[in-house]
Amino acid sequence: MSAADGFEGYDELVAELRANPPVAPESLRQRVLEGAPGAGRRASGKRRLVLVVVPVAAALAVGAALVHGVVSSGSHGAAVVGEALGPATTVAAQGSAKSVHRTPARPRPNTNLSDAGVKAYLPTHLNAVTIPKDRIVHADASLQVQVSSHSALSKATNEATQIVSSLGGYAQSVQYQSSRSGDGNAFLALRVPVGKAETAIGRLGALGRLVSQQVSTKDLQQQLTHRTNVIGSLRRAIAVYEQALKNGSLSAAERVELQIKLANARHSVTEQRKARSATVASGATADISLTLTTNKNGIVGPTHHGSGRFDRLLGSAAGFLALEGIVVLYALVVLSPILVLGGLGWWLVRERRRREETRLLASA
Amino acid sequence: MRAVNALPAALRPPGRVGAQSFADVVAEHLDAVYRYLVYLTGDRAAAEDLAAETFERAFRSWRRFDPRRGAPRTWLCRIAHSTAVDWFRAEARRQRREETYTRDEALLEESVFAEGLSPELDRALRRLTPAEREVVALRVLLELDGPSAARVLGISTTACSTRLSRALKRLEEEMSHVRS
Repeated sequence: MSAADGFEGYDELVAELRANPPVAPESLRQRVLEGAPGAGRRASGKRRLVLVVVPVAAALAVGAALVHGVVSSGSHGAAVVGEALGPATTVAAQGSAKSVHRTPARPRPNTNLSDAGVKAYLPTHLNAVTIPKDRIVHADASLQVQVSSHSALSKATNEATQIVSSLGGYAQSVQYQSSRSGDGNAFLALRVPVGKAETAIGRLGALGRLVSQQVSTKDLQQQLTHRTNVIGSLRRAIAVYEQALKNGSLSAAERVELQIKLANARHSVTEQRKARSATVASGATADISLTLTTNKNGIVGPTHHGSGRFDRLLGSAAGFLALEGIVVLYALVVLSPILVLGGLGWWLVRERRRREETRLLASA
Repeated sequence: MRAVNALPAALRPPGRVGAQSFADVVAEHLDAVYRYLVYLTGDRAAAEDLAAETFERAFRSWRRFDPRRGAPRTWLCRIAHSTAVDWFRAEARRQRREETYTRDEALLEESVFAEGLSPELDRALRRLTPAEREVVALRVLLELDGPSAARVLGISTTACSTRLSRALKRLEEEMSHVRS
């Protein structure tokens, strides 16, 4: 109060004020004590709501994720295996690993094997992989091969590229991963002439222990025949149009119409030729995806073949939780401008009330 | 104090062992809150109603009161301030509705602030604005320190000191005016 004691009589004034304070009447005291609400009204409704709603929402989110994990892990495993084993055009060689294991005296992989040698080396049922040579066919193959060590991995990677080169193909991409402590992997995207695809698959599979193999073919012969027929028809139509245009009795309108048809036919022929060339090119080569790994289970990449159901459950649940998080984040991003505007509005109202309060107390 | 000792158990919130019970708070601070409200409103009847309402509100939020964040008196004064502002708003609306507001002259003759105050001081206090009487009540009567009073008023400590200084000077001027 030092700021105020600058006038005469300050002390007397304060003393008088303090000496005669208003005293609360006894009736007020009784009223306050008797009129106090019961114990049931003490708890804060908002706080209780927050304390209940937040854990319940979190529990629901986690529960939904677990339910999703349980449901999807039960069916997902079978689906993945089904994919690995493949449909009718796919040959799976999961069993081949067993047969290799049963042969301790397995010969060392030889990358210079002939076609006959490869077929003799592979397990019997893999010899059934045949790619028709008398038709235009596009072939896709996927192989997983396990090698014994990091040095073998490096060697097998080099040998794989040499194999495809020797067969007239090439390596589109090579991805090599190796660490001192963990497993080493190499992912190769290879392309070889279709006629040499079987040989390539056999020799690549012989680089180590063949863990899995998928081969799919797509017949392009019918497509090629259809395009050839279309081109023939268009050529005949072009000849007819050209002959007709030589006729001098055509009216101007008819001539223009024929010229348009001729131009369209020529354009279509060009397009069909390009498409046929693409079909032929596609049928000329086979795409081979080769995975080399030092992992003893032969598991690489995001597949779930070897993981247990619990792992899949956790993975599915985590994925679902992440999805929930994304949804919440998205909602926050969408709502944030509204929240900012709401906050601004709340602040403005508060400031207005504060000013009104000051004016009210200063003028009442 | 006799009434306080006979408090019902509900007035003693459970789980606050070692802390002051609400009944203790009522016993200790009812007079202070009442004084503050008398000075702020300049109306004893209104101050009684507002004091009762203040303690009702305080009881409802008693569990959320954290003594580490401020003294009970400051906390109660803050609630009383909020309650009184609501009352002032309602009064202003009522006045606007009735358009004319004439105070009972007989009532004005009665001592509002305290029985023992000199008539000059009582009249001078009536001439002050509620905001001026409020700061006098907090700093002089209730003897709150600067930061606590500032927290109740929702202003800075400097602004609180300035307001008190002006209020006391104006009070002194009004007293001189009444005397002359």
